[in-house]
Order: sequence, then structure tokens, then C-alpha cells
Amino acid sequence: MTRPYNRKKIFMATARALTAQPAPPAAAKRRDLSGLFGYVLIAPPVAIMLLLIFYPAIEAVIETIFVSDAQTGQTTLSLQNYIAFFQDPILRANLTFTVLVTLATVFMLFVVGYPLAMYLRFSKSRLAGTVQVLTLFPLFVPGVILAFALIRFLGTHGMFDTLLGIVGISGYRTPYLQPQGIVIALVWEHIPFTVLVLTAGLRQVEDAVIESARDVGASGWQIFTRILLPLTTRSALIVFCLNVIGVFGAFTLPYLLGPAQPMMMGVSMQQAFNNYQDRIGALTQAVLTFLICAAVGVLYVRTITRPRER
Amino acid sequence: MATLELIGLTKKFAANNAAAVHDVNLNVGDGEFLCILGPSGCGKSTTLRMIGGFEEPTAGDVRIDGQSVVELPPNRRPTAMVFQKYTLWPHMRVFDNIAFGMRLHHVPKEHIDRDVKNALQMVGLSGYEQRYPSQLSGGEQQRVALARALVLQPKILLLDEPFSNLDALLRVRLREELHAIQRRIQITAIFVTHDQEEALSLADRIAVMNAGHLEQLDQPSQIYAYPKTLFVADFIGVMNIFNATRTGDSLRVGQYALKGATGVRGDSNLSIAVRPEDFTFGAPTDSHNSTEMWRGVIDQSIDLGHYRKVLVVVPGLFENETTALAHRLKVYMPKSADAKEGDSIALYPTRYLVYTDHTQPIEVRNQALRTSDETRRDDLSSVAVSSDALANSG
Repeated sequence: MTRPYNRKKIFMATARALTAQPAPPAAAKRRDLSGLFGYVLIAPPVAIMLLLIFYPAIEAVIETIFVSDAQTGQTTLSLQNYIAFFQDPILRANLTFTVLVTLATVFMLFVVGYPLAMYLRFSKSRLAGTVQVLTLFPLFVPGVILAFALIRFLGTHGMFDTLLGIVGISGYRTPYLQPQGIVIALVWEHIPFTVLVLTAGLRQVEDAVIESARDVGASGWQIFTRILLPLTTRSALIVFCLNVIGVFGAFTLPYLLGPAQPMMMGVSMQQAFNNYQDRIGALTQAVLTFLICAAVGVLYVRTITRPRER
Repeated sequence: MATLELIGLTKKFAANNAAAVHDVNLNVGDGEFLCILGPSGCGKSTTLRMIGGFEEPTAGDVRIDGQSVVELPPNRRPTAMVFQKYTLWPHMRVFDNIAFGMRLHHVPKEHIDRDVKNALQMVGLSGYEQRYPSQLSGGEQQRVALARALVLQPKILLLDEPFSNLDALLRVRLREELHAIQRRIQITAIFVTHDQEEALSLADRIAVMNAGHLEQLDQPSQIYAYPKTLFVADFIGVMNIFNATRTGDSLRVGQYALKGATGVRGDSNLSIAVRPEDFTFGAPTDSHNSTEMWRGVIDQSIDLGHYRKVLVVVPGLFENETTALAHRLKVYMPKSADAKEGDSIALYPTRYLVYTDHTQPIEVRNQALRTSDETRRDDLSSVAVSSDALANSG
């Protein structure tokens, strides 16, 4: 289509050209101290991060890749610690187990979180307020309390087992000390964050966007898959990244609810450090865990810094 | 092409008991362009959304070509809606936005390609297929929304203030384009707006709504000349409205008497409405009967290009007189009229409408004073011309 000339635009361009002034010479410019003030404000947290996070992290990495020979006392650059980790079948199983539990948990979080978020976004009933409070409830329950509550509820002869017995269902197998136990607890723990972020994402989708899809013939499922899911990918990626990082490094719930073998990385590290007094082994596991989480972290940073479509 | 009937359409929201839309009855003919006009919150959008299926009526029926569609969801009604804003799907290109509905209906690909091309051509956006909505201006986005609505060949096109987020010049242009498209494809269209200029320039007929009620359904010129209710009189165009009292056949407005108001019955408390162009005026002379000719002082005289708007303070005309804007008489004069701020002026309504609580408004044309003051006739005729132009342009 050919556009008619835009009078306003031409006028503004002319006005700019007429009123434009040469830039002042750099020397004459007053030094801007407001920038410095900003740096002063962020200095304390940055200092704490450098001192308590980056320095120990780098030290840990260096310690694991420089191996000193017991006989000669010579220190050489080597991946020996990592090779040892991957050659150990138990540790390998622990890493695989951690990845699987993490993926299962995050998958279940989406399965549970999306319907809840959809309900909170679209429901006009009074019940929605109650559901909102309930979804936030896990935020206020410490992990240890949750773990013991779940043991009492889901354990053998626990409340759930008893209830099943009342309605005549027998043969209940408890998820306690099973991988499922960890997944159930971690899902419960991460629901508030998941639902909050997904609801916020869904709230950004305007009603008119959904209604115009209904208008041209889209069913509820088609609106979900073709409109809502694509428009909430950013929220979904944020949920994915932060949940993966949180679940991958979880300790309390896997420690109290999980099986003795295989175990998740957090538990495995603790065992190497405390039970086997294997400081370098624990460090190696920690560095590996950190690298995997950092990769997801990069995805997260890229997600939140990507410019929006609108 | 299709007709639309609304029968006793009512909508109550649970939150408050008052009806958002109350017993609206209207028929829209095949190929007709109907504007629903009213202030915000009058129920016009709710009415449109009930036609489109986005709101469920509490009572009443919506019939398209005689068939009730009130039970059908939006996707199964032969209507297509253009919303006010955020109408395009931001993650789809223009082509996919328009093709989306056809793909849902499993239209063959070659048909989709052809129809999308034609639809874009119709709204003047050929070649925009691969752009994302964020790369389009507000006006272009609304054109794509229009193309997307029309490509499914609906029987009835619904538009919910589609241009109200655009700047004034663009709004006028899109309005004209929409008008041309609607005339060309002869589609029945319902257009909701709070902008009377938009309604007056687009509509075959206008439905004026207020507080959930349909106040008047008429052609634009009728709505302007014979507003059925005081609300319509006040809402459409500019109107001077006064309280008046009746004693026998004579009316009193403040301290002035109105001549020629025979036939008014009923209440003794009435309202008088006078269009700004329906005044005769001149410099006050002693010969003017002091209780009939209104005497005032020009407070503001504004040159509006093709006519002059004059605000006159007339003591003793309004109840509870103040200097507020509402209590100055609004008068349109020809550009050539000699009306300076501070000048004394005498004027008298040549045509006015009398509103009572019970009956239709009564039109009164007052010839007596006009003929007695021959020198003003020339002025008046030219005012009549400019007021016609005004009515047409809004």
C-alpha cells in the first residue's frame, strides 16, 4: 500500500533540523556524579556476592582441577577428579537420578500449575480467592515440617492409607522412601512460585485476544494450545529454569523422604563430605551440580532479557 | 447478508441488581449500518457482546435471519467482531492472524492464500502478510482486525469502538474506509461508539442508549432534529436546555415568556431545548417586548472556522443562575456576524422542543418574532445553512 505523506512527521523532522544545536564540547560537560552514587548503593551486595559466593566457587573449581601427587607433592592441572566421578557407578546413578527427579518434578509442576493458573486467571467465582490463598500456603511451611507431615500422611498406616482402608482399598504402597515421595514433596513445595508466575503471564493476555479467537471459531483447547501457550512461553521458561535450579539442588526433602540409593546430588554431596570425609569428592559433585544449574541459569537470563513481542 | 432482531434483550450482572441492558428491542435490516451510541456504561458494549455471544442475556432473544442464536457460543454464530484494542494475536504474523479462523475450519490452503490476499487488499494492506502486529501502527492493526473479521464472510459484522484508540485524523480516515467497504460488500454492521460524530457520519440509523435503555432509534437527521427524550437532546449535538413552567397556553422560562407554545398539555413543569443555530438575534432596541426578547451580554465569541460560537449570559433565564459553562446560552452565528465579547445582544429561539414527562416532545416554530424583525432574516438563513453542514459533519 502506498502511504500518503505524513504531515506531522515531516513537520517534526523539519522542526528538529531547524532547532538542532551542535553538541557541547566534551570538556565543558560537567562530570556526572549521579552514576557514582548508584555504584555506591550496589557496592555492599556486590561485595558480599564476590566474597561469599564467587570467591568460594572459583576456589572450589580450582581445587578440583589441580591435583597434587601424593608422592612427589607436585600439583598438575587434571580432570582426574571428574573422571573418577563418572567412573563411579553409584555417583553416576545419583546424577542420573537427580536429573530424572528434576524433570519429573518440573513436568508435574506444569501439569498441576497451568490448570490452577488458568482457573485463577479466568474464574470469576468467589472460590478463586480461597484457591489463591491455598496455592500460596506452601510458601509458609518449612521443608522439614512438610517432610514429616507427608510421612505421617502418606506413610504406611498413615492417614491416606487409613482413609483408603475405610473405603475398602487395600494394598497401598507408600511413596515414602521412594522417588515418588521426593517428587510429591518438591511439587508441593514449588507450586506457589509456579502458579504465581504462570498466573501473571496469563493475566497479560488480554480478554480481547482470547475472545477474538473464540469469535473465529477456536475451541477451548485450541485457544489454550494456539493462543495461551505461545503467549505465555516467557513465563513458562522462567518457571522451568527457576524450578530446575531449585529442585536440582534440593536437600531437605530428598534427604528425609527419598530412597537410600540412588540419592539426589544434594544428599550425595552431604554424604561424601560428612560420612566419607571426602572433601574433594564433595567439591567435585558441587561443581558439577553448579555447572548444570548455571547452564539453566544462562537460559533464564536470556529469557528475561529478551525483548518482548509487544 | 442478513437481518438482526433483538427481542426484549436484558442483561443483569450478579454484582448489582440494576439491569446493564434493559428490554432492548430493535430490528436491523439487511445491509444496514446501525450505530449504537451512548455514554460509557450505558450498556451499548454489553448489547453488542450479547449479539456476538460473549455475554449471555438474562432474558430476551437474538435472532439472525429469523433464527435464534442466543444458545450458540461465539464460534458458532454467523457474526464477527472487531474489538477496541489488543485484537491481533501478537505471536502470529498478519497472514496467520487472518488465516487462523479458516485453518480452524479446515479450508484448503489455496483458498486461504487467495482469501487472505483479497482481505488484505480490501483494507489496503497488500504486502503486509509477513509482518508481526508489533510492526504495525494502531490504524494498520485495526485494519488487519477488520480483514480478519471479514475473511470468514460473517452475516453480521460487529464493531466495538474499533477506532477509539486512534488519533483524530486517522479515526476519520478509517471511518470513511470502513463505510466504503461496508457499502461495497453490503454487509449488515453494528457499530458501537460513544462518539456522536462517528455515529452521525457512519450510520443508516442510530440507536441511542442510556442507562441500559434504548432511548431512540432513528436516522441521524431525525435524531438531531427530533430527539425523543431530553437525554438524547442533551447527548446529541449541542443543546440549550431550560426548565420552564406552563400556565394555560403560555410558557415561562425564568423571567421570560415564550410565545407560540400552543398544544402543550400535561405537566406544569417542562423542559425546553433549543439548538444553538435556532436563534434569531440582534442588537437590543427599545421596541422589543422586554418579556419576550431575551437580553444578555456576550461572554465569549469563538471563531470556529465556518461559523461562530457565541456564549451569552442572559440574566434571569436559568434557575440557580451561576457563571458556570452550563448556564450560558450557546448560540451559533454566521462567521460574518458582528459579535464581540462584552456586546449587548437580544435574542429569541425560532425553533424549540418542549419536553414533558409523559408525551412525545412538541416542536414549536416561532415565526412571529422572526417576521417582525426583517433585518435578521438574512443572518438566520445563513445560520441555517451552516447548521445543516454541522449536522452532517457531526
